[in-house]
Amino acid sequence: MDKQLRIALAGNPNSGKTTLFNKLTGSNQFVGNWPGVTVEKKEGKLIVDREVILTDLPGIYSLSPYTLEEVVARNYLIEEKPDAILNIVDATNLERNLYLTTQLTELGIPVVIALNMMDLVKKAGDVVNVKELSRQLGCPVVEISALKGDGVADAAKAAIEAAKHGKTLPQHSFSGPVEHALAHIEEVTVHNLPEEQQRWYAIKVFERDEKVLEQLNIPAGVRAHIEQDIAAAEKELDDDAESIITNERYVYIGNMLKGIYKKKGKGQLSTSDKIDKVVTNRILALPIFVVVMFLVYALAMGTSIADGGIAIGTFLTDWTNDVLGGAWLQDGSRAILEGWGAAPWLVGLISDGILAGVGAVLGFVPQMLVLFLMLCLLEDCGYMARIAFIMDRIFRRFGLSGKSFIPMLVGTGCGIPGVMASRTIENERDRRMTIMTTTFMPCGAKMPIIGLIAGALFGGSTWVATSAYFIGVAAIVISGIMLKKTKMFAGDPAPFVMELPAYHLPAWGNVLRGTWERGWSFIKRAGTVIVVSSIVIWFLTSFGSVNGQFGMVDDLYEDDAVVTDEYIAVVADRMGIPEDEVEPMDDSILARVAQPVSVVFKPLGFGDWKPTAATVTGLVAKEEVVANFGIMYAYDDQEGEEELEENGDQIWDRVAEDFNAFSGGHGQLAAFAFMIFNLLCAPCFAAIGAIKREMNSRKWTWFAIAYQCGFAWVIAFIVWQLGRLFAGGVNAIGLIVALVLLALLLWQLFKPYKEAQKLTVK
Amino acid sequence: MMPLILADTGEEAIIKRVGGSPEMKKHLEDMGFTVGGAVTVMNTIGGNLIVKIKESRVAISREMASKIMV
Repeated sequence: MDKQLRIALAGNPNSGKTTLFNKLTGSNQFVGNWPGVTVEKKEGKLIVDREVILTDLPGIYSLSPYTLEEVVARNYLIEEKPDAILNIVDATNLERNLYLTTQLTELGIPVVIALNMMDLVKKAGDVVNVKELSRQLGCPVVEISALKGDGVADAAKAAIEAAKHGKTLPQHSFSGPVEHALAHIEEVTVHNLPEEQQRWYAIKVFERDEKVLEQLNIPAGVRAHIEQDIAAAEKELDDDAESIITNERYVYIGNMLKGIYKKKGKGQLSTSDKIDKVVTNRILALPIFVVVMFLVYALAMGTSIADGGIAIGTFLTDWTNDVLGGAWLQDGSRAILEGWGAAPWLVGLISDGILAGVGAVLGFVPQMLVLFLMLCLLEDCGYMARIAFIMDRIFRRFGLSGKSFIPMLVGTGCGIPGVMASRTIENERDRRMTIMTTTFMPCGAKMPIIGLIAGALFGGSTWVATSAYFIGVAAIVISGIMLKKTKMFAGDPAPFVMELPAYHLPAWGNVLRGTWERGWSFIKRAGTVIVVSSIVIWFLTSFGSVNGQFGMVDDLYEDDAVVTDEYIAVVADRMGIPEDEVEPMDDSILARVAQPVSVVFKPLGFGDWKPTAATVTGLVAKEEVVANFGIMYAYDDQEGEEELEENGDQIWDRVAEDFNAFSGGHGQLAAFAFMIFNLLCAPCFAAIGAIKREMNSRKWTWFAIAYQCGFAWVIAFIVWQLGRLFAGGVNAIGLIVALVLLALLLWQLFKPYKEAQKLTVK
Repeated sequence: MMPLILADTGEEAIIKRVGGSPEMKKHLEDMGFTVGGAVTVMNTIGGNLIVKIKESRVAISREMASKIMV
């Protein structure tokens, strides 16, 4: 059997590469990450020949080693040596696109060019002599329209043919001094490499490409000898080696195109330019942006249609939560299981544990799909790139990119897609920073916590909810400024240059596929993580050891022989509560574990097992925090009362009493610290899973979680300790530590910062 | 010679020099900002520019644009 053919798809950003990839592979795609980096890797089987694997390389302008995408692409091409390269070229921008082509043809791999957007060129009345282009470049050229699918199959067949029999030799040469140096380099350093790769290596040595020099490990004597040739060429042509090569490539392309490309009209503004005149206008840009964002938010997450708003997303989500999740899944499964005579613990596990947890997440799906759909639309029509441009100046001040805005907007709905949306940020440093800080935004599931605290202790004051958003934004800004001054985030100068694709009508295939990809990824991740963690938490709250017997605490407490009066006294003493308040859950594993853990939260004012347990279970889903308060503060819904409200208003009095009791009368302050901690600490497991996937690194994931928890702890600590200055009951040591922490924070915030000019790409 | 940030909007200019760190210079050159090439400022907002280079529109920050001499 023949070995499996591998073809790489390469091209500039915005050249229609994704569209072509989708057309060539259909639904047969596997999405992953390139090893060790957060750049997405997509592979698929060709529709025209299922035996051939197509790898989608990141969109790049060049094979230089300066951006992560370029490094990933060239490492793949050099080390994996695919059997052919399918190079997609935007015919409306030949000069810039062929610059990459001249580099690809040097790699010793057969190249086939898919000349995209030829329909637009013809429509403009321009003429491209395709035959001549093919002859001059020394490789087959196939005209295609990726959007319409024209010629796509021919391009694939040409690439397969080239992979089997083709050979591409670079047709261009450089000027005398450069060729002289290249000949020397080939002679002394690269002659032991595969013949077809020698030219590429020689050029890279000439350019003093650090990665290649490192790899070749040239002896110092030879190096000095080569250096003379390079320096001579630089002197003669009065430029540095890299620029010489770049310029000569462009000059070569320019000369070649003179005979090939005939432009008809010249100089008038395109439709896209006219739109830009309005949309990126210095006065109108921000208002337009605000309106667009408001619409996106209002349609996906605003007031439901049922309540007079325009939000389709909220409407569908309410339905999913109330009808599908609550009534059908949870109650329905309970009825069925009980009808089968299943053991009570099994009913509890499936209905209250797994399905309740999964239902809570599924509820978000419609909202997220609407949101993704609109974001995909904005991206596909070209507006997203402009958003990044408009927001960049503002976000740059605190170490984030203009592209960080979208993840944060999405994060106010749910942190998981928020984290996932960070994928569009090319710069790895900006992306990591965005992933770490996005979940500071109060997501939908954190709103009940805010509602509970505001209602129970602040008389429903609206400033509590407002402050929650303010705290979220402030946490992002403060973290951004602090982190960019650390070694981990320094390094990359990340200046803003970004191509703005021409506006065009969205391609529905791309939009729907993008929406579904993100939506499915959300469901899958949330689904798997939530199922596992729901089981664990259910187990921890339902089982425990009562007076030396292990089992379901509810059952054991029914047995008076086990739960004696003396034993109740022991439990009451351990939990620090009156005897008549002892309940089965006090003996659950969770309570037992939470009790000692609550020491951690003592300095934050809520060192009691109940808020501790609620905080810990909040890791499963932030809705769990209020749900657990409901259970722990003995809200009894068995007696025909209505269900616990989302903000738990039936238990407000009991919560307020308890917070006041364990905080020594500073209930409001303790509750506020509790809220801050829960808003800022590590997000739910599902979001942590998203962080792990996007970071693509265990180390970075742990760092993100540690940072979030540490930051939350420090801020809550400062609030609680300093707050008591005004509320009374100052703890001298606590106050000093708080002041020291605050000083450190401010120092890190305001210390001078010099952006590093050195760029490090691993 | 003047930095690109001072060029008139809508007027085509010829790039005379590209400065900045080697990385930045190379990246700009890869995107088509080469000496002798034509560049047109299409729009400015808050000091950032949108320019036409070759056939593409590129958004570029003030810091980078000030390193491109026309």
